[in-house]
Amino acid sequence: MHSQVLLAKKLKNFQAYVNAISKKKVSKSAEDDEFEQWQKSRQLAKPKDQLELTDAELKEIIPRVLQSVNVQQPDNLVQYSFNLGEFVPIPPTGNAILVFSHKGTYLHKESDDARKQLIAQGIDPQDLGAAPSVVAVQTEGAAAVKETESEDEEEGEKSEEEGEGGEEASQVPAEGDEEPQAQAAPAAGKKIINQFNFCERAALTYTNPRMSRDTQTIPPPKATYSANVLQWIIYDEYQQDYDEQQLEKERERERREQGKMTVSKPGVKKGTGKVHLNEALQARLFECWRTLERMLNLNTYDYIAKDYRYWEDPADEFREEEGTLLPLWKFSYEKTKKNTVTDILWNPHYYDLFAVCLGYLDFMKPVKGGAICLYTIKNPSFPDYICLTESAVMCIDIHQKYPYMLVVGLYDGNVMVYNIQATCKAPAFQSNSVTQKHSNIVWEVKWAEDLPDGEMNFYSVSSDGKVIHWILMQNEFAVTTIINLYLEKDPVRGPDGTLVKRKACASCVAFHPENPLIYLVGTEEGLIYKCSTTYSTAYLFTYNAHNMPVYRVDYNKLNSAIFASCSGDWRIKIWEDNRHEPLFVFDLGSCVGDVKWAPYSSTVFGAVTSKGSAYIFDLNVNKYKPICMQAIVSKKKYKLSRIAFNNNLPIIICGDDKGSVTALKLSPNLRVPCKPPKKQQHLDQHTLQLMKLEKLLSLVREPTVLTPPPDPAGSTDS
Amino acid sequence: MAEGEGGGDKKELEKKVVHTYPLVRNSDMIDEMKLESVEIVVTACEKHSANNELAARMIKEQMDKKFGPPFHVVVGEGYGFEITYECKSLLYMYFAGTLAICIWKA
Repeated sequence: MHSQVLLAKKLKNFQAYVNAISKKKVSKSAEDDEFEQWQKSRQLAKPKDQLELTDAELKEIIPRVLQSVNVQQPDNLVQYSFNLGEFVPIPPTGNAILVFSHKGTYLHKESDDARKQLIAQGIDPQDLGAAPSVVAVQTEGAAAVKETESEDEEEGEKSEEEGEGGEEASQVPAEGDEEPQAQAAPAAGKKIINQFNFCERAALTYTNPRMSRDTQTIPPPKATYSANVLQWIIYDEYQQDYDEQQLEKERERERREQGKMTVSKPGVKKGTGKVHLNEALQARLFECWRTLERMLNLNTYDYIAKDYRYWEDPADEFREEEGTLLPLWKFSYEKTKKNTVTDILWNPHYYDLFAVCLGYLDFMKPVKGGAICLYTIKNPSFPDYICLTESAVMCIDIHQKYPYMLVVGLYDGNVMVYNIQATCKAPAFQSNSVTQKHSNIVWEVKWAEDLPDGEMNFYSVSSDGKVIHWILMQNEFAVTTIINLYLEKDPVRGPDGTLVKRKACASCVAFHPENPLIYLVGTEEGLIYKCSTTYSTAYLFTYNAHNMPVYRVDYNKLNSAIFASCSGDWRIKIWEDNRHEPLFVFDLGSCVGDVKWAPYSSTVFGAVTSKGSAYIFDLNVNKYKPICMQAIVSKKKYKLSRIAFNNNLPIIICGDDKGSVTALKLSPNLRVPCKPPKKQQHLDQHTLQLMKLEKLLSLVREPTVLTPPPDPAGSTDS
Repeated sequence: MAEGEGGGDKKELEKKVVHTYPLVRNSDMIDEMKLESVEIVVTACEKHSANNELAARMIKEQMDKKFGPPFHVVVGEGYGFEITYECKSLLYMYFAGTLAICIWKA
């Protein structure tokens, strides 16, 4: 109820206010006519419900009277009290009208709150001196203004009446508020921020549009690998690699050798392309023909091949201490039918290949020309390699490491080295027939071990009484005379009165298998000299062996203290190193061309005679007689000259003076292995063979103990 | 026969020789890289002959520096492996007679 009354009162006030404004407006318009006129020209928009007043009405002045009593203030306001059940008069409200209310933020600086605030801001309240007091005064002043404004009813009315002026007046003190603050701030040394005076500015920049883009590259190629690492695997790999390296080195060396050979090969023709093509074609054809030839031979000699492989003489079981030789193939070459086989030798690397030297021995009927033929038992009809020479070939040796390197000694005193891998047509090395050669027949050549820097070298012996050492240089020989074999006899007086020392004619040589410095030289005088390559004047030992030329000296393959010699005086003698007397002597009744120890036994050796017979001895079986004596060729027509045991197969080959070579198979009785005694089953064949020989030797040595010889024998026993 | 025996003895003597040179068992690296890698391995294994772990670390670090990571290195005297490697980055070699070194990139 009361509030409604208040509202009514306020409405009344408002109307009065509006009237005041309009009145003022009228007065204003009267003041400037021009403006009025400009306004009149336009039609004023009026609300529809506007009251139409006449000019008289409009011009009528409504007088207003100011009284000291507020007529609008009711003095008899009542309120119904439900408690009392009657209207109760309300005491008059007074003249104050609240127009504007604002809660201030100012504090008195002396008040407790202000102190707290200062302390919180970190300012000592004591520091605030005289200057801040102004602030206090100002603030007090502002507060006073407010008080007056709100306090006095009369004044309030006045401000209402004046309207605009009131507003302006209220602004002034507000501005005054700010100024003292601005002044106070520097005095306090601190700017108090006006929390309302700020503006927020923002700018939105252009955002780049986004998009996603993918590429997938091809992944790098991958692979898998797996292995196992174990010590033995590593070791094996190393071994294998090392072996390969060695092999590679060897090959490299061989290539070098071959290069050398081709360099030294005289008369190498540089043909045109057509010739080359022709040669290549020929080589292929040759290869085909060779295969065909072998196939034919296989068919032709089929029964011999089977004999060779399988036939063991069944009669041997019933023959005590005797054996036979089964003739297999016969090798001969049409062009060398007139030559004598002067030397035969198995290839140390290819067990089926052997070299045959064709020269002549019957010096009453010289034969022009000679040859080296290499046969293989796989092809008995034709030699695999043929090297034709101008002079008769007297001896040959095949290098142990390089089975294609052949050295040959000739009837005219020359020596030649063939590299049959490169060519058979011309020798790779040839001694100069004027300056560096033997002055007589070269009877035997022997390869020596390679020198420390890998040069190949060999020794040769000749009837001129010299032993010469040849070293293969780039494309010639380096020659050293090792020894001149002077006879230990008084020099004879020559026709012009000078004394001439006579020389022995060397006819064969054998190098010690274990000590490469030591060698034996057999002479045509029947003596055997034991020499060393380091002494060029003295002999280590002299064996007064035979009465006729010594044709062969051969060291036992197992015991190198034992050697055999054969001679034209029909005898074979077995010697022990440094013992003057032979251990065994065998008389074969005709000139013994060759003697060789068997590689498989320490007590077996073979010999051939000029009567065409081959003899096989086994000292262990029979100390007096051969265990096999067999005529190989016709006694009247042929003479046997040479014999050779194969290193692997039970085969021997015998050469005759008509240029043919016969291969024979040894029957089982000729190659009986040693039976180990019951108590010594563990011993291997090698030891048994040595034991066998030693036992035999101890039997034959006895006589020398009974009649002590001039001492040197004792020295070997120690 | 005496000769045969001699040969046997010689072979035995030869067998006792332990080879220590670097032996490349398998590698698909290009030659230049292979040579360099072998050199790195030799240096590392000689420097840390008693400690395979350090040797492997050294090899790996050097390989990473030279040819770009990530390399993997195994150094040892006995092990087995099955690896997937990026082509042209495998090296499997022996060294010092007992060590096997496997280097690859993945």
